[in-house]
Amino acid sequence: MKPIHRRSFLKSSLLSAAAVSLPNQPPMATQNAARSASVAASSQAPGIIDTNVNLFSWPFRALKYGATKALVAKLKKHRVIEAWAGSFEALLAKDMSGVNSRLAAECREHARGFLIPFGSVNLAWPDWEEDVRRCHEVHQMPGIRIYPGYQPFDLDHPGMQRLVRMTAERGLILQVVFGMEDPRVHHPMISVGPVTFAPLLRAVESTPNANVELLHFSGSVRGEDSNRFTAQTNVFLDISRLEGNGAVARLTGSIQGLPSARLPLERIVFGSHAPYFPVETAILKLIESPLDAQQLQAIMQGNARRLLPRA
Amino acid sequence: MLADRESAQLTLKMNAREFFINPTDYGLPTRDELVAYRIWDNHFHGFASAKPIEQYERNNFFVERMGIERSIAQEVGGTLERPFAPYPFDAEILKILERDKDRLSGRTPIDPGYPEESCAKIEKWIRNGPCIGIKYLGSAINGITCSHPNNDPIMRLAAELDVHVYVHTWLKVGGTPRRPGGDNGPSESTPMDLAKLAQRFPQVPLICGHSGGDWELGVRAIRPYRNLLLEFAGSDPHSGMVEYAIRELGVERLVWGGHGPSRSYATEIGKVLDADISKADRMKIFGGNLRRICASIFRKKGMRIAL
Repeated sequence: MKPIHRRSFLKSSLLSAAAVSLPNQPPMATQNAARSASVAASSQAPGIIDTNVNLFSWPFRALKYGATKALVAKLKKHRVIEAWAGSFEALLAKDMSGVNSRLAAECREHARGFLIPFGSVNLAWPDWEEDVRRCHEVHQMPGIRIYPGYQPFDLDHPGMQRLVRMTAERGLILQVVFGMEDPRVHHPMISVGPVTFAPLLRAVESTPNANVELLHFSGSVRGEDSNRFTAQTNVFLDISRLEGNGAVARLTGSIQGLPSARLPLERIVFGSHAPYFPVETAILKLIESPLDAQQLQAIMQGNARRLLPRA
Repeated sequence: MLADRESAQLTLKMNAREFFINPTDYGLPTRDELVAYRIWDNHFHGFASAKPIEQYERNNFFVERMGIERSIAQEVGGTLERPFAPYPFDAEILKILERDKDRLSGRTPIDPGYPEESCAKIEKWIRNGPCIGIKYLGSAINGITCSHPNNDPIMRLAAELDVHVYVHTWLKVGGTPRRPGGDNGPSESTPMDLAKLAQRFPQVPLICGHSGGDWELGVRAIRPYRNLLLEFAGSDPHSGMVEYAIRELGVERLVWGGHGPSRSYATEIGKVLDADISKADRMKIFGGNLRRICASIFRKKGMRIAL
């Protein structure tokens, strides 16, 4: 990956206020120069790696950017340079092999190298291990995304520990989706079970080399679990579900005095939950939160690139 | 005495107007462009806290950062939990309303389970006080929703004062058999309840809070009643929701709320930016429509606002 130099990053920044005291902050003169150069330097603004998008049809509504071509154009409009894509089909389908094949083909056809397919396995279906193998060996996917709750299992499923171990052994990223929509507005015909956090902790702690990312996770974890999650795992978290003014800065600890869980900066990655959520929402969270250049670079792409290095 | 601004502020090292990315590079409006939208936050919970003054002062960092022009506090005079009980922070909140009158207004919460007390509160806080609207809470347990006849004297008074009424509405799925609204609280109004009220009082501007919770159904429920506006606030951002509401209701019937600090301004602003609409239409949703229904009460209070 081409490194992002601090100076070029700042040149593309919108600097409009008084002096600040950020560590390693360039002097005010540099900021003034950056202000006047903000338009010319736009092409150097860092791109975003979106670790949480889904393709195909949401089962309950036609989404505005539901067509892959439209979604890719929309993401690129907002300077997304890479998007890790799951499939809405994985929520309810039984033929997971078909789901994963279609996902791989769709990514190849519409945006090879931009859409990175994350296939899915359903622990409640027999022989899910073969789906892991096919995702890895046949489709050469870098990771697996599971949707517990919609897929009829919780994280205390007996196969969970084995899935964490299998993905770790194969060097795959395991994305665990904690929700797709507010349960208060679910279609009355479906009953999506809650996803419990603690069993995942146990599975991850027993496989220290696992690469696990929580998608659409609120960050709300009870005391002891929170401490274990922060101190004893290396699990990543996307920002798509964080709520409250300044939520990202609260999570990083940039803001003191507002309630929040805390997570080391290097474990926070960008995720939009598009096309269900507007992609604008997640980017605006980065703007709303008072984050400095290094923090933004880490969340927008640096941490995700570390999790999934460019081949 | 007002809270000390210094001690109530956030501990951070960045100015509210300082950004390290240019929103334009990411297809988003700059702060100046957000300011130009003239955003009026229809749904502000700045005082909803055990430490309301401190929370209000802290949240001002984000009000400033996101270019919000005016916030309408949902709990002035009592709380949403105990709307008629004396509230020890009322005096301080009144001082803040006066101090920040160029960017802060308030609604007073009432409960139609107690119509006489509600009317008395409206007299105190609106006719004789600083508030510019009525807020129906959704958390009471007396089983009286906004469609009950108890509401009629409240609505008659609202019509006399020419003020709008905000109603918390939701459609929480649940119950047996499962249905939208089946998990609502005993006094929690649905958009269908509000539609009944709107039909009885077509002269009173009513706001359907939270888009009814389930916006696809909420829009359908209120569609026939022109005095009913739909609020986008306090629910998840769903791509396409604003365009759907414009198609079914018309852009003149939409208002925007931030629901901060428990929700992100980012979440709520993103809903409107998702819609491929003109700047003029964005301005109507972000504040123009709310200013239209507030114009009379602001005028009566001697406050001049540019529509």
